[in-house]
Amino acid sequence: MEEIAHFISADPALTARVLKMVNSAVYGFPGRISSVSHAVMLWGLNVVKGLLLGISVFDIMQKLMGGLWDHSLGCAVVARAIAAEKGIKEPEEVAIGALIHDIGKVLLIMGFQDYYGAAIQDAAARRVSIAEAERAVFMKTHAAVGMWLAEKWHFPPTLVEMIGYHHRPHLAKIAPMETAIVHFSDVLVRARGFGFAGDTFAAAVNPQAYELLDLTGDDVLSLLEILEKSRDESGGFAL
Amino acid sequence: MLKISIDRLLPGMILTKPVSGANGMVLLPEGTKLNEKWIDRFESMGIDGAWIEGKAEQVEPLEDAILALDRRFEPVVDAPYMTTIKNLVKSQIEKLYT
Repeated sequence: MEEIAHFISADPALTARVLKMVNSAVYGFPGRISSVSHAVMLWGLNVVKGLLLGISVFDIMQKLMGGLWDHSLGCAVVARAIAAEKGIKEPEEVAIGALIHDIGKVLLIMGFQDYYGAAIQDAAARRVSIAEAERAVFMKTHAAVGMWLAEKWHFPPTLVEMIGYHHRPHLAKIAPMETAIVHFSDVLVRARGFGFAGDTFAAAVNPQAYELLDLTGDDVLSLLEILEKSRDESGGFAL
Repeated sequence: MLKISIDRLLPGMILTKPVSGANGMVLLPEGTKLNEKWIDRFESMGIDGAWIEGKAEQVEPLEDAILALDRRFEPVVDAPYMTTIKNLVKSQIEKLYT
């Protein structure tokens, strides 16, 4: 653990970005974390590892598809708020899960930029979700690709399920609640029209997941409020 | 509070952050109400935008925001719970304009 903290601290640019990230509204400790080792101590290695991954992956994401970054950050903010509300032990982990739930898209875009562009156009032309267009082009969706990667990289099982089942949360076995949270955050951020995740449509919520979360209308309104506020504060989520 | 580009700045908008020139010198303090003269000058001074009061949504008219919402929900509005969610999002958007 110390080694990781040391490794990050040795790179000033990386340190600055880790601290900027952990102090942002996404993680709920605005302005209170001043050192990398503090961050590692507070959240443990898994979370900080996810964070590092988030930072490097989303660097690429910002260049390839800026709207996906906005979408992912919006999801992270909402997911964190729901997780806290539902008394999840590590809301940060759920926030990270939401932040990288679309990692499969990054992989597909990196590997097959032209085909992915075609999938985006296909989704718009046929008025279907990007996942459906991906299936037509790649035979797999970004969720399956992301899950494969998460397993290959030995992510904690909770994170694997959040990534792999964010469109089919009823399949989650280890972390049904966490996966339902990521799923609903995705739905809500799309419903609000924040960012661009590959298509411009709202996605249908999974009824089972929605019932599991058991949110009132006021809960949903306050989540929308949090999303709005975090976007205002960061001036469009740029980190 | 939001940052908007120079071509969308309008007289009467109020700065929420100071505007600085290329050399870092503050030209206008926060709280300043913009007028046409200042906005015209920004361009020649290489300033690309400014932070102003208000919410991002208010840049587009409410009718457009609701129309966009309808379009977004069109493929899924009949799915379970989606009308509820749509109405919640709608009421939140409307609140931004009051």
